[in-house]
Amino acid sequence: MEKDISKAKVLVCDDSMMVRNKMKKLLTAYGFTQINEACDGAQAVEKFADIIPDITFMDIVMPEMSGVDALRLIKTNSPDAVVIMATSVGTVGNLSEAIKLGANDFLQKPVDDEQLYRLLDNYFKKEN
Amino acid sequence: MFTQFFGSYLLNKKIVSPANLRLALEKKDSTRVKLGVLAINAGYMTAKQVDAVHRKQATVDKRIGDIAVEMGYLTEAQVEELLSSQKTGCLLLGQALVDMGCLTNEEFETVLKNYKKENDLTDKDFSEESNEKTENVISSFFSLEGEYSDYCSEYVNILFKNLIRFVGDDFTPLVNAEIGDNDLTVIQELCGDFSAVSAISLDDKAAAVFASRFAEEEVTDMDYAKDAISEFLNLSNGLYNVNISESTGKEIGLTPQESTTASAVKSIKAKFTLTIPVEFTFGTVIFTLAVI
Repeated sequence: MEKDISKAKVLVCDDSMMVRNKMKKLLTAYGFTQINEACDGAQAVEKFADIIPDITFMDIVMPEMSGVDALRLIKTNSPDAVVIMATSVGTVGNLSEAIKLGANDFLQKPVDDEQLYRLLDNYFKKEN
Repeated sequence: MFTQFFGSYLLNKKIVSPANLRLALEKKDSTRVKLGVLAINAGYMTAKQVDAVHRKQATVDKRIGDIAVEMGYLTEAQVEELLSSQKTGCLLLGQALVDMGCLTNEEFETVLKNYKKENDLTDKDFSEESNEKTENVISSFFSLEGEYSDYCSEYVNILFKNLIRFVGDDFTPLVNAEIGDNDLTVIQELCGDFSAVSAISLDDKAAAVFASRFAEEEVTDMDYAKDAISEFLNLSNGLYNVNISESTGKEIGLTPQESTTASAVKSIKAKFTLTIPVEFTFGTVIFTLAVI
């Protein structure tokens, strides 16, 4: 899948406002203009249905509903959704469960620009 | 991490005052480790010889290394080796204290020798900081023993590495400190084979600096500071979980972090409570690991 960044919609799901702000800064610098946020797993599922983002970043440890449970619901309804797990708890157990549920990739927190952009380059093409 | 424990050693032995240690920690990054301190650390010169070279340098316009070679204390190869050797944090801290006049070269020589001997550390350990040696230093500092000592020393090891990486290396572990009644406090539960409540407590002033450093932006709003501090605890616990799962094959679940009060942390009914206070140059931060 290669999409034009300026038209792409992003959903950032994390209970930390600081992390969401950092992600927004990095994503804006990459060229995204449509960045949406969710602060827990339940809100992530709701917003996903509402927006149908082209790419979703999902934390794992969140209140209300964990990122893994949110991933399960999102993938049940939208099997083609691109969901990237962005977490500090990148254990084999967590990751293999997320992969089984259809997660597309994994980012180790704290997410830095290099790591994020390398991953995004696989999904989006930039306009010259 | 030996730098931080070296700082504690200097405090506990009452070799430097807390105020001077704080100042030296602030200065160490802009400090240049001089040949004398390097030669003392390597055991190539005694402090007395270093002092003699410095006295000689005041009378002639020559480099310290050249004078040391002329006086027969060092070979040219040793000078080269010392100048290209790794300037560890301990040496930077020691040099800062010598430059401030808090320690003489002779005192530095004695204290460094004793610190290495008491903790069974070699120069190689200083530059490599192996987990095994680090956890030995941690266990002995916090008097860890018994059933939970391995989990606890690994917890502190990961925590301190994360503090150094994401907040700063200008801190000193303390043996004792009491959580202030009004301290901003966040907890997160770890559940699995090893179940515990982890907490971080700090006053508003320290919270603002801690959060600003971690978030890499100026933080003045206390709710935002709490959010950033909460994320630090989650990050450190998450990385601890990754380590535990890699070393034991078992995973620990993490609950979402919660804001709470200092008294709630103090009243946790635990099998064993490890208090991990650290004195940063901007204030005291107290971590708690209550095994439940």
